Amino acid sequence: MNKKEAEMNIGNWEMAALVILILCTKIFLSFPRLMAESAGQAGWILSIYVSLITITVFWFMLRLYKKHYGKDLIDLGEHIGGAAGRIFVGLIIIGFTIYVNSVILREFSEDMKIISLSISPISFVSLFFLAAMIISAYVGLEALVRMNAIAVPIISLGYIIIMLGVGRYYDLSKIMPLFGLGFKQIFINGITRISIFSELLIVFMLTPNLKKFNNFKKSTYIGIVISSVFLTISSLVYLLVFAYPHATESFLPIYQLARLVDYGSFFQRGESVFLLIWAVAAMLYLSLGFNVLLQSFKKTFKLDHYKPLILPFAVIIFTLSLMPPNLMSVIELDTGYLRKWGFIISFGFAILLFVLAGLKKTKKKGEAH
Amino acid sequence: MADSKNKLRDFFIFREPKDYKEFVLTEDKQSEKRSCQQSEEKPKKNRGLIKKLIMPETDQSSVRSSDLECLEKTKNEDKKDSKKLKINKDIKVSLEYMKKVYSVPKNGDMVVREFEIVFRDKMVPAFLMYFDGLADRNLINESVLKPLMLLSNLEIKGDDNNVVDYVKNHLLHQGQITLTDDYEKVIFMINFGGCGIFIDGVNTAFAADVKGWEHRGVEKPSTELVIRGPQEGFGEILRVNTALVRKILKDDNLIVEDIIIGKRSQTPCSMLYIKDIANDSLVDEVRRRLEGVKIDHLFDSGELEQLIEDNTYFLSPQVMSTERPDRVARYLSDGKISIIINGSPFALIVPATLWDFLHSSEDEYIRFPYANLLRGVRILAIIITLFLPGLYIAITNYHHEMIPTDLLLAIEASREKVPFPSLIELLIMEVSFELIREAGIRIPGPIGPTLGIIGALILGQAAVSANIVSPILIIIVAVTGIGSFAIPNFSLAYSFRLQRFAYIALGAISGFLGISIGLFIQVIWMANSKSFGVPYLVPFAPPTSDVNGGQVFRRNIWKQETRPDDLNVKSKKKQPSISRRWKYNKDEN
Repeated sequence: MNKKEAEMNIGNWEMAALVILILCTKIFLSFPRLMAESAGQAGWILSIYVSLITITVFWFMLRLYKKHYGKDLIDLGEHIGGAAGRIFVGLIIIGFTIYVNSVILREFSEDMKIISLSISPISFVSLFFLAAMIISAYVGLEALVRMNAIAVPIISLGYIIIMLGVGRYYDLSKIMPLFGLGFKQIFINGITRISIFSELLIVFMLTPNLKKFNNFKKSTYIGIVISSVFLTISSLVYLLVFAYPHATESFLPIYQLARLVDYGSFFQRGESVFLLIWAVAAMLYLSLGFNVLLQSFKKTFKLDHYKPLILPFAVIIFTLSLMPPNLMSVIELDTGYLRKWGFIISFGFAILLFVLAGLKKTKKKGEAH
Repeated sequence: MADSKNKLRDFFIFREPKDYKEFVLTEDKQSEKRSCQQSEEKPKKNRGLIKKLIMPETDQSSVRSSDLECLEKTKNEDKKDSKKLKINKDIKVSLEYMKKVYSVPKNGDMVVREFEIVFRDKMVPAFLMYFDGLADRNLINESVLKPLMLLSNLEIKGDDNNVVDYVKNHLLHQGQITLTDDYEKVIFMINFGGCGIFIDGVNTAFAADVKGWEHRGVEKPSTELVIRGPQEGFGEILRVNTALVRKILKDDNLIVEDIIIGKRSQTPCSMLYIKDIANDSLVDEVRRRLEGVKIDHLFDSGELEQLIEDNTYFLSPQVMSTERPDRVARYLSDGKISIIINGSPFALIVPATLWDFLHSSEDEYIRFPYANLLRGVRILAIIITLFLPGLYIAITNYHHEMIPTDLLLAIEASREKVPFPSLIELLIMEVSFELIREAGIRIPGPIGPTLGIIGALILGQAAVSANIVSPILIIIVAVTGIGSFAIPNFSLAYSFRLQRFAYIALGAISGFLGISIGLFIQVIWMANSKSFGVPYLVPFAPPTSDVNGGQVFRRNIWKQETRPDDLNVKSKKKQPSISRRWKYNKDEN
């Protein structure tokens, strides 16, 4: 690891902003629709429910992880199973990040194509996001995290303007009946939807860059709470504006909302301005994922440098993102798999690692006695 | 061609990078000293931007032996240079040597005057040398030649047995006289308007400071005019410039450290800082960079700026230049460091962040609401300069729907007869505008501004009449141009003028998506850049404790209690928490 990487230090706000970005970017994709599909008019209740479960699970994870603070997941894998453990954990994280990055790359590219570049081929649109990923990887994670800390408040402001801008379309009767598709659908079947917080896995790869555990805890909690609020508001506003059956049909829920925004007769159809915000959010999300992927690969195989990996991995992600035949199949890969079963890796696998690492520590102590 | 091939190859094939250590500004001086021991790099041909991108930094442990050898070699060369030639007792030898050095009689402006001094009834041959025009002829006649030639005939009252002591103590009544035993020192003094005096039989020479060259006086600054505040600007004389700063600061802790840069030009430079405010590691780093500049001639601060900045490929400036002594004084009082160069009316200030370039010295002299209005206008100017043409192209080509119908009809009606696509139309006008601007600067005297106005008016009007461009585009280009003039730092304005062409291209390629990627690259590049260890986007990236401390928008003067956090200064407090004490302590008053 070179000196610049070793000295990278993430501040509290930077960490919180990072959590907000990785959790909230999905608002611009299909999150509000996913909530509407899962719980009908009660999509926003499902969002609150899932957020509360996530906060509880995360609290539990932090309790387990506290003893190992300073080590990321790959370090823990090495601690448990030596080199084999490190490579096993590393490959799982690499596989997961490649999957997420390729699916989200394709999804954002398809959305951009629909919104403004309808004639351009999908590969051309993807290249812009890919270029952002490559350049950010060359520049480094520290600059990316810093830029993210500046961009998140601006993106949030744009998001709030959209949410407030459609205020005159709010109709409370559209979220009635309050519990939508029923308790079972919200509270039992909805549990698997904690996968919408799958990206939290990334924060456990960045812990060596935050010196104190308390700072890490505080900033991630702040990030998760703010994200939960944003996610819930997006779902609620979407359902307040579009009635339930209609709400499940839109590919781009927030874009549909933005199209309704008008401030007087002169400022109409301003959704293109929000496109800037969406594109920057997407570039940041993909770049963060890509950087974590490169760092994970480097650490898994104990390489000295990550820069030679940039182009090969960019080509892999680009190629994989072009494999699904159409937008619907990409959405299925996202909502049907990632947002349904992603929790197995992001929460289940991480908890398993923490437990095993804890057991190993206890065993070592016992042997020492 | 070979260079391009290598660059292309380096993009795809990884090579082990060389050792490079980055300067980080910390509060702890010792740790800082350890971290800033940057190894000298062996110069190599094909080290370009692409290669730099692909090459990561390595650990210090991987310093190559070849690099160390290179460093050793450089040190030896420096030692060789520093070998001084001692002055010969025989005046004929000295005269021959000095004539050879200055190519006399080939050099028409070199004056060599031979004469004799009477010392204890003996005639001692002597000569003096100076450059006609650089030295003050009257001063030489009155204070040097007259005493040596006439007063030496008088009876010696003291008991000086040595001609050197006699000349120094009784004859030369010039204020600044230097005695030296090596030729180099005398040559240095003669080059700077001094006069060298050699006397037979002694291995010591005199160098009298009799500078008398023509120079500009203290005038109004030409590029940083203000309505409120001092109207003095720097000139070309180093000592006058340092005195102007000292006159304003009147601080006994102000240090003016002299450094000579340029192997041949021997340009005197001064590094100014306030010793009990400026961070020691920052001072050391600036000194290290200045001493590390190896160049034959240094003519202006603009050259030095390029030699000491962190990243030479970064488009925005990383070193502030100003011609206002009050501005230098203010930055010094904040803990920054200034570098003044002989012959340049622009002083350099380091470190400099993006927000520093948006400030004008007037901001501090006017009331804070007015200053903030001006700063807001400048930020708007940047947004217009950078994005307006690109956004116009993006909207007209990709996002028509966001233009209100009436405006869209107006734009379309005005473009109806224009045969070019909007991109070509815009490029024609932007290039014309740049031509007018460049021509306006280069044309001498009063014709320049006239040409600018007439050129713009006639060209614009004619272009619209000829249906080459649409009137709306003239407005876009004109507003963009005005925006670039409103940026207070001309270096930053150049940078944004250049970058706007990239945004035009990106807007033309893919509308707002293209502009988004441009913005992403620009901000991440800035977030990654530093100026002398201080992040370029501070106080936002990384966020510092004084994020609201007046770097972006100015605070009320009584709220400006601390110095910028990013400079890690020795004395953080600038004023007490209650600076307007008269408001509270009625009894004391």
